[in-house]
Amino acid sequence: MRNSGYLIRRFLQALLALFIIATLLFFLFRLGLPDPTAVLVSEGLSPEQRADVRRQFGLDLPLWNQYLIFLQNTVTGDFGTSFHYRAPVSEIIWERLGNTLVLMLAAIFVSYGIGVPLGAWLSWRRGTSADSWGIFFGLMFRSAPMFWTGMIAILVFGVWLEWLPTSGMRTLPYEASGFWDKILTLDFLHHLILPAMIVAMFYLGSPLLIMRNTMLEVYGEDFIEMARAKGLPERSVLFRHAARNALLPVVTQLAVTIGLAAGGQVVVEVVFSWPGLGREILNAVRTSDFPLAQACFLIMATFVIFLNLLVDILYSTLDPRVRLS
Amino acid sequence: MFQKGRVTQLVLGLALSMPVALHAQTAVEPIEILTTTEAYDPIRYEGAYMIAEAWKELGLDVTVSPTEFSTLLGKFYDQQDFTVTIAGWSGRVDRLDPQFYLGTLNSANAVMGANNPGGYSNPEFDEVFEAQSREFDQAKRQELVHKLQEISAPDAPLAILFHRDEVVAYNKNNFENMNAMAGEALYSEWVPMEAKPLTDRTTLRYGGPQSPDNINPMLANTVWAWKWMRLYYDRLVRLTPDVEVKNWMAESVTAIDETTIEVKLREGLKFHDDMPVTSADIKFSYDYLVASDYGYFNSYLAALDSVEIVDDLTVRFHLNAPSAPFASITLSQISILPKHIWEKIENPMELAPADIPTVGSGPFKFNQYTLGEFMKLDKFEDHFHADEIAVDSVEFQIFADSEGVFTAVQTGQIDVTAWRMEAGQIPLAEANENLQVISVPDFGYYHLTYNTRKPHFDDVAFRRALTKAIDRERIVNVLLDGRGEPGSSVIAPVNAFWHNAFTERLDFDMDGAKADLEAAGYSWSSDGKLQK
Repeated sequence: MRNSGYLIRRFLQALLALFIIATLLFFLFRLGLPDPTAVLVSEGLSPEQRADVRRQFGLDLPLWNQYLIFLQNTVTGDFGTSFHYRAPVSEIIWERLGNTLVLMLAAIFVSYGIGVPLGAWLSWRRGTSADSWGIFFGLMFRSAPMFWTGMIAILVFGVWLEWLPTSGMRTLPYEASGFWDKILTLDFLHHLILPAMIVAMFYLGSPLLIMRNTMLEVYGEDFIEMARAKGLPERSVLFRHAARNALLPVVTQLAVTIGLAAGGQVVVEVVFSWPGLGREILNAVRTSDFPLAQACFLIMATFVIFLNLLVDILYSTLDPRVRLS
Repeated sequence: MFQKGRVTQLVLGLALSMPVALHAQTAVEPIEILTTTEAYDPIRYEGAYMIAEAWKELGLDVTVSPTEFSTLLGKFYDQQDFTVTIAGWSGRVDRLDPQFYLGTLNSANAVMGANNPGGYSNPEFDEVFEAQSREFDQAKRQELVHKLQEISAPDAPLAILFHRDEVVAYNKNNFENMNAMAGEALYSEWVPMEAKPLTDRTTLRYGGPQSPDNINPMLANTVWAWKWMRLYYDRLVRLTPDVEVKNWMAESVTAIDETTIEVKLREGLKFHDDMPVTSADIKFSYDYLVASDYGYFNSYLAALDSVEIVDDLTVRFHLNAPSAPFASITLSQISILPKHIWEKIENPMELAPADIPTVGSGPFKFNQYTLGEFMKLDKFEDHFHADEIAVDSVEFQIFADSEGVFTAVQTGQIDVTAWRMEAGQIPLAEANENLQVISVPDFGYYHLTYNTRKPHFDDVAFRRALTKAIDRERIVNVLLDGRGEPGSSVIAPVNAFWHNAFTERLDFDMDGAKADLEAAGYSWSSDGKLQK
């Protein structure tokens, strides 16, 4: 690339950020969440039996010792064993992460695919009733809580019309030999429609409004005047010159959205019983499953940090005025 | 100068004022009620505020602290750092035997982390408790169990708030002969064996928000794992819906003497891999659990000394002391594992999920478990009970919350709700022509436990008065829509054989509560604060 020194520095910074986050997560959960064996009392386990379980979890070791083990394992990509499921965390989360990403990326694709051109179009028709309605719906979807829109959608399309399934990723029982085998089916698409639409509706407002407002700013620039003066058709001015320049803030927003998507939309995953990472985070915190919770949050952090890095790099391509230095 | 009269006056005055000084009472310390957050359980949350209001009427300073659930458990059980906590015990079928719930009042369990966090300690109770657990004669044991409830009730170590009704629904167009069981509702071990399909589909589909933590019989620590696994791992006896002991794998269970129980197996029992079940498997399963670090069943196995193989189909259990619950609870809860598979496993607690054996000898055999999504069992045709079973498979769909379960039973995606419905869903289910709503009382209970180590809570009169100020009837009517029963004993009324209906109930009586406090030497300051 143009400046490899810069890239290496940014990469090291990202790693440092991850290390700090991992450390914070480790201590935050251990100091903030209750003893993971506390719930076993209601299952009738005696204090001695719970002490045994704590020993199996390695919680009897001094905190600094646990921390060293955690760091050592994390560096080698080993997230440890889930306290609740008693299975390797990595086995649980990769599948869940895939489930979440496929839902979120579909939703983001739809919302940005519609939101960006629609925002550009609204800016062109600014002041008209189409513009007001567009803003109104964008804001409405953005502010409507997803558990509510989700439940209405389930009621209408699932219960009354019986068009679409309301929970899970596949019709049960199903057999799939792997992740791709599971999602490359019509049945999966059928299950994807409702939750993806609800998330897409929620996300639609951001690209729509950002695009529209940035376009309005860009219209005032001299080069637009110039393009018009050259006699370029309005369509070309709009999409070729204005839209491309208005894309920058949208790209930033997109990267942040994708970054956060790794954590899923907990609410949507719960309402549609989608077996994703968001639901797992909720369970992990609820059961004080430290290894699972740490891994989930660490993955989210990794996504956000590296997508931001990616955006910074992309900026220089989208906007030659931005120099990497 | 020195006037004798003055001195006398002074002394007299002092002497007269002394008793007044001694009687200057101090206000009772503020009380904090620990309860769940509204999101976790609105009933315990709202209930705490209702109780706080009533106690304020007694002149107490009361605050409610909604606490995240596992923090709450930690404070309650582990640190015993509370004055009053609202918590609950779920009704598991093995808790129909009085041993467990009565044990929560045994002073031996008052240590940190054990299940008598209130620290109730009554030597008479402890003594009778010990006696009942050794009593084999049901009638005599019943008498002792009734006596225990009589002993503890007047002491008010805790207020049993209510026993909740389990309200579940099933699709009546798809299945019939669905008999609910106290505490288990329709997700009992019997429903899959008794359900009769009304359509061509012979798969009984459950749905619920809870799922097993794992399906390793040497590791699983939740009731939701065992509710599922008991369908494919068999037991020597099973408890019927009427909570009678029914010989199951056992053809007979005989007490040879007070500490020896002989079990004869049925002939022709098989594991799902076609290997025969013999007395060696029985001995192995019990020994294996005793030798392991797995603690879930330890309390049931505490009485077991050794298992002896008499012949291929006969084993003898030698107990280290007479134990009444052994023949009912222990034999009905311990799963029989195939020796030929498990004896080869070095460290059963570290099995990877994919390597966990699933071969049992139960009426259903394992088919599939997809974490967080789905579980399936098929009928085991070679089981001795197979001719009675009308369904071909049992499925369990795992949902994120009860709203998802309810939608699924409405749309016909599942046939039965495995867990109780929310209050708001019940009228909708009743109005749905495809659904049959069933309500059974739970024998688990919600309770408000006093920390009897704290000032004033060590005073029986104080606890009794506070208990009398709780309107349990109103809590049930307002917060449960009347779907429950106010409590009076740790043994629920639905557990008719063990429940003692003639114990002191300490029913709601505000004036009585005030009178009790007054009689115990409490009074009220000019601004209405309770003091002693």
